[in-house]
Amino acid sequence: MFTNLVFIILFMIGFYALVMKTNLIKNVIGLNLMEAAVFFWVISFSDIGGEVAIHKMGEEMTKFNDPVPQALTLTGIVIGASTAALLLTLIIELNKFSGTIDREKIEGLND
Amino acid sequence: MSWMNIELILLIVLPAGLAVIMYFSSAFNQRARNSLAVVGAGVELYLVFSLFIFNFEAVKNSDFFLQSTMGYSDSPFVINFAMDNLSLLFSLIVTAVVFLIVIFSTQYIRDKENRYFALFFLVLASIQGSILTADLFTLYLFIEAITIFTTPLISFNKTEKTTRAAMQYLFYGITGGVFFFISIILIYFNLGTLKMAAVAENFGLISTPMQLTIIIFFLLAVLIKLGIFPIHFWLPRAHSACPAPISALLSGVLLKVYLYIFMRLFWTMIAFDFLVELHLSAFVLDLALVSSLIGHVFALQADELKKMLAYSSIGHIGMILAVLMLNTEAAFYGGLLHIIAHMLMKSGLFLSSGYLLRTTLSHHIDDLKGIGHKNRLVFISFIIICLGTIGMPPLIGFVSKWFVLLAFLEARHYFGAFVVGAGSIIALIYYLRYISQAYETVKTESKTLREELISLKAFFKSTNIMKNVIYLFTLLIIFFGLSYKIFEMPINTAIFELLNPQKYIELVLGG
Repeated sequence: MFTNLVFIILFMIGFYALVMKTNLIKNVIGLNLMEAAVFFWVISFSDIGGEVAIHKMGEEMTKFNDPVPQALTLTGIVIGASTAALLLTLIIELNKFSGTIDREKIEGLND
Repeated sequence: MSWMNIELILLIVLPAGLAVIMYFSSAFNQRARNSLAVVGAGVELYLVFSLFIFNFEAVKNSDFFLQSTMGYSDSPFVINFAMDNLSLLFSLIVTAVVFLIVIFSTQYIRDKENRYFALFFLVLASIQGSILTADLFTLYLFIEAITIFTTPLISFNKTEKTTRAAMQYLFYGITGGVFFFISIILIYFNLGTLKMAAVAENFGLISTPMQLTIIIFFLLAVLIKLGIFPIHFWLPRAHSACPAPISALLSGVLLKVYLYIFMRLFWTMIAFDFLVELHLSAFVLDLALVSSLIGHVFALQADELKKMLAYSSIGHIGMILAVLMLNTEAAFYGGLLHIIAHMLMKSGLFLSSGYLLRTTLSHHIDDLKGIGHKNRLVFISFIIICLGTIGMPPLIGFVSKWFVLLAFLEARHYFGAFVVGAGSIIALIYYLRYISQAYETVKTESKTLREELISLKAFFKSTNIMKNVIYLFTLLIIFFGLSYKIFEMPINTAIFELLNPQKYIELVLGG
């Protein structure tokens, strides 16, 4: 229940920064927060208090955490990092052309 | 594994490998690079076409199925690629159109940019991957890959406008991706599997509110990527900012790939009955029809040629999505035929607009004066393709729109039929606006039609590949319009696949 609450609050903060803020870098931060919230939620859900799922020779594992959500989250983090890098590159380029990173002031972005 | 199963993986690996070579292609000269690109795309086309030809009997009897699995086959989490008739149809038409676009861009992209073809082939690899995959997480990866690789292509000519468009495209693309991720995670927590076939078998076991959440997140993700009405404004900007071949790729090919993913998700994986039960199908149908009307109306006020074409794309995609939501055999026939027709026509239009706009000052309508006198035959091809999009009888656009209209009438959905008709009439107006502008008289020493026809005689000698590709598109549109029956067999088998998802599920789980 607590993790659900944290997820919702983080996601909403991210969504707020993405939609309401006019600073483009803050928008990127908001997007990353949204992604981070989802990953946090996935990891906390898959944790059932068991062992780390690493297979050891000759040992029986009775209770272990599902490794698949962890793998999905790792991949998701990689994608998130690459898209954030790409977005920031584009913002730098845009800053060179228009001299501002404010969404409202860049012509034609918000009409 | 037999050769055909390896071919499935080769379809994805070959373009990706080519992309790596292309990235280092500044080492060899431009001619070698261009021929390598064309040969690579040609081999890709040959691979798909050989799958079609060698399995012709199987395709005809709708029992064609191929799959290849990587990883430990006994665990439920393996990378799994599968091809049935539906994916074969899409793979085939996508590769054919991409092949023509590659030929066009060898001449369009003149400078020694090695980035262009590298990214282009990466996009092709991700498209093939997202068509062939039978696993939800791999599908998510390939969709994200498409978004990431197309973004630098949109901002290929570095100006303020293109950078802006690319950034907006990426923002919406990622947001769609996050929704998709949430949805597949919910599926995993509820069912413990990510194989599409296994999900399809057990989807009914999930509780109804959770089903609704999953379906809504999937719908949000795909509708954002398709540019359906409330979230459509990134599409015309992104599709008009990039170089012409990339516009053709995005508008002509990529939107259809998202439609394919939509069909895979909502007919094979989540049975369509769930959408009907939750009252979502009627909602999506109306949304798509409104989006179609709005796309056509906005195209009326677009003052740039490529922007007008992109808005018209929104109109057509809305129409196709609406007709698919009817969920009848006639609707699938019309929808799939219009997917093929629109793919050919929109690619042709964007490519010819790229050729025409090279000599003008800007893309604005006022600068297009006399453009029809300067490039006569190309502009005549442009008009023919325009007529195809409007729906003139001998062209393929007419045939497909006719079947869409019939499907709407058969389902007694008169608003849909009205949108198809109204869209055609509005399209006629906005195309005429540009065509009349293009034939405004300006003083130029123009070639006569006769001279142009003589120059056509040197068809194969001439070095102008771009013109030839545009003529080829025009001829294809006329030819397929006259003999649209060629598509009847592949489309009917694809419809069989959509109506009987049980076959796909059993074959994926069984092998």
